[in-house]
Amino acid sequence: MRKSSFSRSRRRENRQLRLMALPAVIWFGLFCYLPLFGIFFAFKEFTPVPGRSLLENLFIHSPWVGLRNFSYLFRNPQSLAILGNTLFYNVIFLVAGIVIPVFLAVILSEIHQKKFTGLVQMALVLPYFLSWVIVGYCVYGFLATDQGQINSILRFLGREGIQWYQSPQYWRLILILVGIWKSCGYSLVIYLCSITAIDRTLYESASLDGATFWQKVRFITLPMLRPTIATIFILSIGSLLSSDFGLFYQVPMDSGALQEITQTMDVYVYKALMQQANFSFSSAAAFLQSAVGCVLLIVSNVIIRKVDPASALL
Amino acid sequence: MRKVSFVRPKDSSLTKKGNRMAVAFFGVLIVLAFLPVLLVIMSSVSSEQSVVQYGYRFIPHEFSLDAFRYMGESGSTIPRAFLNSVMITAVGTLLGLAIMCPCAYALSRKEFAESKLLMIFFMIPMLFSGGLVSTYMVNTQVLHLKNTYLALILPGLCSTWYLMMLRNYFIISIPDALIESAKLDGANPFQIFWMIAMPICKPVVMTVAVFQIFAYWNSWYPALLYIDSNHTELYPLQYVLVNMERSIQAMNRDAQYLSGMNSVVPPTVTMRMAMVVIVTLPIMILFPFFQRFLKTGLTIGAVKE
Repeated sequence: MRKSSFSRSRRRENRQLRLMALPAVIWFGLFCYLPLFGIFFAFKEFTPVPGRSLLENLFIHSPWVGLRNFSYLFRNPQSLAILGNTLFYNVIFLVAGIVIPVFLAVILSEIHQKKFTGLVQMALVLPYFLSWVIVGYCVYGFLATDQGQINSILRFLGREGIQWYQSPQYWRLILILVGIWKSCGYSLVIYLCSITAIDRTLYESASLDGATFWQKVRFITLPMLRPTIATIFILSIGSLLSSDFGLFYQVPMDSGALQEITQTMDVYVYKALMQQANFSFSSAAAFLQSAVGCVLLIVSNVIIRKVDPASALL
Repeated sequence: MRKVSFVRPKDSSLTKKGNRMAVAFFGVLIVLAFLPVLLVIMSSVSSEQSVVQYGYRFIPHEFSLDAFRYMGESGSTIPRAFLNSVMITAVGTLLGLAIMCPCAYALSRKEFAESKLLMIFFMIPMLFSGGLVSTYMVNTQVLHLKNTYLALILPGLCSTWYLMMLRNYFIISIPDALIESAKLDGANPFQIFWMIAMPICKPVVMTVAVFQIFAYWNSWYPALLYIDSNHTELYPLQYVLVNMERSIQAMNRDAQYLSGMNSVVPPTVTMRMAMVVIVTLPIMILFPFFQRFLKTGLTIGAVKE
């Protein structure tokens, strides 16, 4: 008697907990799982019949084409260049996004004035919370042909101004600098938090043994940061084929002359979809992004777990 | 949360001289990081004539608020977009929290039978997503979000990150004994969640709220995808900025209409920067107050304990 009433109350409690989780489950169902069937877009030639529902158009009216969308993607020199661009920028951001913030965090954590440390963090993390649109116009203030700050300086020095938005040769560097400027502060704060969590007695005993500053960094700080670095590495390698749409679309102001250098997968998928209505092509590219990201994430996690189990993410 | 120990000067590995060098280095870095924003602000308060002649400058050649005044007088484009942005930010943030918090609480309870299963359900979208094409197709053709406010609000409501962040915090910071005793007093999960869990976990809820506020305020991609140029009344502020040239034309037209044909020459060049300032200013003002929460979020989110 007691037992059954107990389990009944447990069941009611569980039902109520389920009810609490329900709205989130519905949201994920609609906005994450429903688009998953769109994987089929990549293997079909989408030929919609007007007036029919999306599912009917996709599954009944569109013929299977196997891997044709992908082979087209890989044989098209333009899309190979875009793939190359995406990898180029991402590898640089992957390395710079770890080396620079770790370097800055290591030095910042040792600075004596704590108020100053707070100020530095705040100033450096601010760009992270500006939208790409705003960042685009901040860059424009420097690079605008007639009113830009840099051209003013060039003219002041008696040189010709440069038409920045027409000169692709500078844009690799510009985009890398802007990307680092926007995201560096965010990683810096993360690394700084993990450094301040390191047990200070390690440093004290190292000092007693006569370790120099760089020895302490090399043998204490970096090894203790390994799990954080590994986490960030795994997460960013998962988006190896994705790129920040805003950085590559909004910062170059969608300038046609720069496309060769600035176009990456996400811009390409967007343009194929919205401007050319090329569903098969853009969905093949989007599928590639997703699949490669997923595989890389799992593989890198497995490797890191083999090397150092404490650093693995999953 | 682990107590964070700070370096006292006598523990620091840097010598006095090294410290001075480091401070100078970061001083330069702060200036460099802030320069682009400063340039925009200074340009927006320059007079049109001085910018046309001397370009965007850090020290305005001639001070003027004409660009702001002109925007205020030229019809409803900017005020309307501002209201849209505020509304989208408020509704999106609150609705998102209302969906995520109860779910995170349920996931944090050991007695919740489906907890493990649901965790996997929420994790899978982190690994694999349908991609832009099918997301776009589903949102426009199945959910019919095209050209509605919902298109700007719904897709950003939840994220697995925030859900996990909330859940972890619920697990760490609410003692089991507290919940058990509330149960003995006859409280159901809803009451425990609302009256015990939420007050205790205010810091992390605030953190998620702050991140969402920034995310919604800064979002323009959904507008680019889902709002077409026949529905300018739905534009959020950021998207007005994306369509800068067209927006400026529309404002000039309105200004001429409102003031008869004899209107002044519009300050087009400074207006660009003035619009950027209007969008950025709320962030800059709120940022110092929000900073505390941001740091909590960054730490909980990324540092593995």
